[in-house]
Amino acid sequence: MGKNGGSTYDFNFILGLLLTSLVLFIVFLGFFYTPYDPNKMEAALINKPPSLSHPLGTDNFGRDILSRVMKGAGTTYVIAAAIVCIGASLGILVGALTGYFGGWFDEVVMRLNDVLTSFPSILLALVFVSLFGPGSYNIVFALGLLFVPSYARLVRGEFIVLKERDFVNNAKLMGAGSLRIIFVHILPNTRRVLLPSLLIGFNNAVLAEAGLSYLGLGVQPPDASLGRMLSEAQGYLLDSPWYALAPGLMIVLTVLGFSLVSGGLENGQG
Amino acid sequence: MGKDETLLCIEDLTIGFPTGKCVKRVVDHISLEVKKGEILGILGESGSGKTITALAVMGLLPAAARILRGRIQYRGRDLLTLEEGERRRLRGAEISMVYQDPMASFNPLLTVGAQVEEMLRLHAKHTQEEYRALTLKALKEVGLTEPLEVYHRYPHQLSGGMRQRAMLAMAIIAGPKLVLADEPTTALDVTTQGKILQLLRELNEKYGMSIVLISHDLRVIQNTCHRAIVMKDGRIVEAGMTQELFARPQTKYTRQLVAAAPRLFSDGGGLRVTCAKNTSYKEQREIFTIQNLNVFYPEKGSGLLGKKRRKQVIKNANISVLQGETLGIVGESGSGKSTLAKAIVGLNREIEGVIKFNDVAAKGKGELAARPQMVFQDPFGSLNPTKKIGWLLEEPLKLQTNLSKKERIARVREMIRQVGLTYEFLERYPSQLSGGQRQRAAIAAALIVNPKLVILDEPVSSLDVTIQAQILRLLKELQDKYSLTYLFISHDLNVVFQICNRVCVLYRGEIIEIKEAQELLYRPQHEYTKELLESAMVKMGNRLP
Repeated sequence: MGKNGGSTYDFNFILGLLLTSLVLFIVFLGFFYTPYDPNKMEAALINKPPSLSHPLGTDNFGRDILSRVMKGAGTTYVIAAAIVCIGASLGILVGALTGYFGGWFDEVVMRLNDVLTSFPSILLALVFVSLFGPGSYNIVFALGLLFVPSYARLVRGEFIVLKERDFVNNAKLMGAGSLRIIFVHILPNTRRVLLPSLLIGFNNAVLAEAGLSYLGLGVQPPDASLGRMLSEAQGYLLDSPWYALAPGLMIVLTVLGFSLVSGGLENGQG
Repeated sequence: MGKDETLLCIEDLTIGFPTGKCVKRVVDHISLEVKKGEILGILGESGSGKTITALAVMGLLPAAARILRGRIQYRGRDLLTLEEGERRRLRGAEISMVYQDPMASFNPLLTVGAQVEEMLRLHAKHTQEEYRALTLKALKEVGLTEPLEVYHRYPHQLSGGMRQRAMLAMAIIAGPKLVLADEPTTALDVTTQGKILQLLRELNEKYGMSIVLISHDLRVIQNTCHRAIVMKDGRIVEAGMTQELFARPQTKYTRQLVAAAPRLFSDGGGLRVTCAKNTSYKEQREIFTIQNLNVFYPEKGSGLLGKKRRKQVIKNANISVLQGETLGIVGESGSGKSTLAKAIVGLNREIEGVIKFNDVAAKGKGELAARPQMVFQDPFGSLNPTKKIGWLLEEPLKLQTNLSKKERIARVREMIRQVGLTYEFLERYPSQLSGGQRQRAAIAAALIVNPKLVILDEPVSSLDVTIQAQILRLLKELQDKYSLTYLFISHDLNVVFQICNRVCVLYRGEIIEIKEAQELLYRPQHEYTKELLESAMVKMGNRLP
């Protein structure tokens, strides 16, 4: 299982781990403690630049930006994680079954998969949201479904290769049924490719949530999420640039951290 | 130039791979000489440093390797201090190399002719027509009877033997004085192996070309080389004239190698006697029979509605296996050995005909009480890399028995001891085991459910000779202990005659002969069987008995 020993870890992987733990720390802290109530408005503190009492400044309603970023990042993360969970579990299921069994079942399901991928995803999400109304649950569901095809393709490809290996033949001879072979014998072997893609998927989900909330379709006011904050900040970009900077930086750090960790995992780290 | 001129001289060469703070030495104080016109053999198991030595001579060491000390002199010039440009001129023109896997060493997108010609272009100035003529001549030289046709073919369109010949043509075309051949026959069938070695000897005699032949196969070295060197763990264990060296080995390791190499033919069947004592199987009943079995290989149809096609791999096979015997199945790669095995254990359902176990017909599906188990060729592939050995041994018990957790663990522990491993291995992953240990674990996993019939698909082909002998001994012990019946599939006749009571010869999907091993060895009927035996003899350097 790769090389052991500290010297083989590369710099990027370490940096990724540091960034990831930093943003995760901020988010976890945000669940239990924020310096101010993130939704409390203060007429006297509208659009104040960073100061000692408000390290990242205040927004157009006089709310503390630091508190809102901490809370909002949490919301974004939970939504992104839920999206990846739905997308990955359905995707793995579809990919494993089609890859393992093949045949007409594979053909039909994969063509459906192609149909889903052939639409721009943001467009599909928009259609979905306009049908069922905006809100975080609908966003999770819509984006989760849109994430299915990429995982299905990935897992299917792995299964097609792995099912020909002798250890699978061996499992058949042991008397293992198809489902046991698929989930107990083969699935753990896809770990190497699956893990990095889960992290990248999380990144994409963070960006997608930000995108939809930016369009006003995701998290509804007054609740904060990174995308929501960016969307609210765009009117004040010139007067109070710190407003957009804080959530933007948070997204950049998250995406960068997870990408580096995922790259490291692909190169056999960890 | 005298015959005794030294062409290549390696002095005190030490090569290591730095890992962290320490350096892992793979070649350790090697000194050797290659004289003009001789064939020097380097014999060693995997990891003995023989390939790295050759790569060092070529100047093609992997980037991570460091030459720690020593000199490599070619006709008085120190290769290690030469400039890269100088070295490149030597490569191919003076020293060339033949690799183990010709498929991997040819560029798949260029024709064979273009690639062989390229070697000449790099080292000599000729006109277009001369290049072509010389290339065709070289292809002819290495025994390719239709050079023009081969010239225009792509590597994948040639058979393994033809590719290796083309590789040789490439190695000799620029007229080198020294050819390094690294396991040139390992990837080939027995029948082809003998011919390539013959060719090497001819080229050596005709052009006085020196050859360094690297192999893990004692028989290959013994029959081709004038002088030989035995390497182990990066050191030279023993060196001497080939006949002398293997007739009277001085060190324990060489004696081990000589003992492990099957001596069947040189002993006139001595080893057959040792296994033929297990003749009690004769009085016993048939454990399973195959009647008129046809096995197909499904070919992918074109498109969604494409008609399903299938290729017939096994044609009309009839075999009956007796309880307690070892039936060998031999044949070249592509003869359908593995397909037959998969059909028997039920992994291939595209069959017609009858496979009967213990008088219970199991047509198509392998549903029977104790399924036949199988040990695969490559233990790297047959053990799930994400599971511990203990889990892998317990899995069949979980699936096929209703033993309690405690009983299962007891059985697993008993079995791991039976195959000569300790309890510690239960907690390890397959990647933490050596090839031999892994094959032992695979055998344990196959035997743990008490099958009556075990199919061994090339169980020792991927192992070093000394390990091969150990595994064969283990298989024999286990057979006696559990009164197992083996179906032993192999392309290596020497291994087959060591362990099998009866042998079945498979040729292009048809069973052409099935006989007592002794009978087959001394009175082969079919032309192909004769050819197979003969090529194994040529490799052994012996005549047919």
